[in-house]
Amino acid sequence: MAKWGMVIDLEKCVGCQACTIACGMENNRLPGENWQDVIFFTEGTYPSAQLKWFPRPCQHCENPSCMAVCPTGATYKTEDGVVLVDWNKCIGCKYCMVACPYGVRFYTDEKPLIAPDMRKVYPSKDDHSWNPPWKMPDAREDWKHGVGIQPHDVVSKCTFCYHRVSKAPPGTPDLDPQDPKLREFTPACVVTCAPGARFFGDLSNPESNVSRMIGDKRGVRLLDQLGNKPQVYYLTGVGGAVPSNRAIHKKS
Amino acid sequence: MNFTYPKTPGEAVAGALKMFGESHVTATIWKLSVAALAASLAFVFYMLFTEGHAAFNTSSDGVNWGSAIATYVFFALTSSGLTLIASLSMVFGFKQFYPVAKRAIWLAIITLIAGFSVLALELGHPFRMLWAMPLGMQVHSPMFWMGVFYSIDLVLLIVKFYLLWKDDWDSGFSHFIGAASFVAVVLASGMLGLVFGSLAMRPMWFGSATSLFYIISGALSGAAAIVVSVYLAYGFDARKIPAPLRSLTLGDQLPKVFATLIGIVLVFLLTRIWVGLWSNQDGMEGFVALLHAPWFHLEVWVCLALPFLMMLSPSMQQEPKWQVTASILVLVGLFIERLQFIVAGQNVPMFKGTWMNGVTPYTPSLTEWMLVVVGVSTALALYALGERLFNLCAAPKECMEGAGQLAQG
Repeated sequence: MAKWGMVIDLEKCVGCQACTIACGMENNRLPGENWQDVIFFTEGTYPSAQLKWFPRPCQHCENPSCMAVCPTGATYKTEDGVVLVDWNKCIGCKYCMVACPYGVRFYTDEKPLIAPDMRKVYPSKDDHSWNPPWKMPDAREDWKHGVGIQPHDVVSKCTFCYHRVSKAPPGTPDLDPQDPKLREFTPACVVTCAPGARFFGDLSNPESNVSRMIGDKRGVRLLDQLGNKPQVYYLTGVGGAVPSNRAIHKKS
Repeated sequence: MNFTYPKTPGEAVAGALKMFGESHVTATIWKLSVAALAASLAFVFYMLFTEGHAAFNTSSDGVNWGSAIATYVFFALTSSGLTLIASLSMVFGFKQFYPVAKRAIWLAIITLIAGFSVLALELGHPFRMLWAMPLGMQVHSPMFWMGVFYSIDLVLLIVKFYLLWKDDWDSGFSHFIGAASFVAVVLASGMLGLVFGSLAMRPMWFGSATSLFYIISGALSGAAAIVVSVYLAYGFDARKIPAPLRSLTLGDQLPKVFATLIGIVLVFLLTRIWVGLWSNQDGMEGFVALLHAPWFHLEVWVCLALPFLMMLSPSMQQEPKWQVTASILVLVGLFIERLQFIVAGQNVPMFKGTWMNGVTPYTPSLTEWMLVVVGVSTALALYALGERLFNLCAAPKECMEGAGQLAQG
C-alpha cells in the first residue's frame, strides 16, 4: 500500500496562489476557506528584510494529533496515509482544530471571511451547507471521506484530492501530472502548479521521485519538533524557507 | 426555610408552579432566573436558527474555542468542586461539613446540567455525540474520557441525591456511592484538564499541572458556590441560619478551607505566569499579552488576592457579608480565569504567516454572552427549584444535634 506524500520545491514556487484557486474549484471551497493556501511572511529587518512564502496544504501527518484527539473517530487515517474527516461522524467539537499545529482545519459555520456570504447567495435546500453553481459532480461526493460540499457544523480539510488519488493504479510510485495517464489521479494543486513546484508520490517507495528528492535535496518538514511527522516535505534550497517560529516577538 | 416539601412528582410540579405566586427570596430567584433563561434561550435559538454558529465570534484561523467552552469548563469544574466539598463529610468523615453535603450534591448536579446545556448549544451536532462517542471508543482522546467520567459523575450524583432525599446517609450503599463519586469527579475534572494539558503544540496549556490546577481550582469554585448558596437560602441574614449550619459558616472552619484553596490557586497562577514570562520557549508569548490585559489583573488581585486576605483576617473571615463578597469575587475571578486560559492558549499563532501577525483578537459575540446567561440562569433556576422542593439543609440527625450543641455552647 502506498503512503502518499507531497514535496514542494520552494525555489520553484512563485507564490501565485494558482494551487489555492485550483483546490477551491476542485473541492468547492467557500471563498477564503482555503484548504490549501500560500502563506507569506517576512524574515529579517530593513535593509536586509526578505519576503518569503510557502504553500500550506494539510500536512497529512504520520502521527496526526487531530486524529488522536477526535472523540468520535470522525478523523481517521486511510491505509494509504491520507488523513480524512467522516462528516457523518463529526460532532463539530473543534478539538481537532485546536490540536492541529498547522491551522489547516476549517469549521463550516463561521462568519464569512469574504463578503458577500456565498452560503446566503447560494443557499442549500438540503443537508449541504450551501449550493454553489460550480460544484463537483454529485457522483464524486463522498461524506465518509470528507469529499464534496460539507453539511453544516462539521470540520473540513484538504483530502489530498482523495477522490482522485484513491483511484490511481496500485503500485504507482509518483503521480506525475505530465503523464497523461496519471493526470486525472493527481491532486488538483499539483496539476495546476505552473512552475512545477509540487510533486506527489509514494513516500514508502524508496525509488519514487518524491523519496529521492527528499533524500537528495534535504527535504524539511514544518514544525518538525512537534513530532507529528508531516507527509508534506519542503525543499528550501538556497532561497526558500519555512518559518521556524511564531509570528510575534515575546519581548516586544 | 419553613417549606412544606413535596413527596410525589405531581406535588413537585405543583410546588414549582406555585412558586411563581410566592414571595420570598427563593421565589424571587426562581422568577427572575426563569425569565432570564427564557429570554436568553429564545435569543440563542433565534440566532442559531437564522445564523447558525456563525453567530459566534470564534474562527478557524484564530480562536476556535471561545466563551461557550469557557462557560462549560467553569460550570463543570464548579460541579466537581462541589462534589469534593460534599466528600469532606461523606467520604472523609469531617462531620462538621454534613450540613452542606446535601446542598453541595444538588448544586453539583445542577451546575453540571448548566455546563452540559451550554456545551450542547456550542457543539455542531450534540445529538450525534450521543451515539458517535460511545460507538467510536476513541481511547486516545482526552475528550472521550472526559465525557465518560463526567457522565458517570452525573449518574452517581443523581443516585446519591436520591439516597439523601430518602434520608439514607449511612448505609453501605450510600457510602459506596459517595466514595465512587469522589473518584469519578477527580478523574473527570483531571481529564478536563488533560483536554488542554495534552496538547504540546499549545505550550500555554501543555503539561500535567493543568490537570492538577483544574481539580484544585474546581474545588475553590465549589467552595465559593456553597458559601453563596447557604447565605442566599437565608436571604443573607445569618440570624436565620439554623445552628448546625451557623456553627460551620460562622466558625473558622469554612473560611480556613476557603483561604487555603484560594492560596493554592494563587500559587498556581503566579508560578504559571512566572514560567510563562521567564521561558524563551516559542509559543509562550501569550503570557505577555495576559500581563497587559486588565481582566487578568482584575482576576488575580481583586478576585483572588483580596478574598484571600479577607478570609485570613480574623475580623473579616467570620462576617457573613465578607464571606459572601469573597465568594462572589472568587466565582467572577474563576470565570475570567477559564475564559482567559482558554483564549490565551489559542491566540498565539502557530507560525508566521499572512493571515495573522500578532496575538489574534477575540471578544465574545452577543450570542456567546447570551449563552453565558443561559448557563447562569439555568443554574440559578434549578437551585431555586431544589431549595423549594427538597430540603437542602437536611443532614444526619446525630450530626445536627451535635453541631447544634456546638453552636449553642
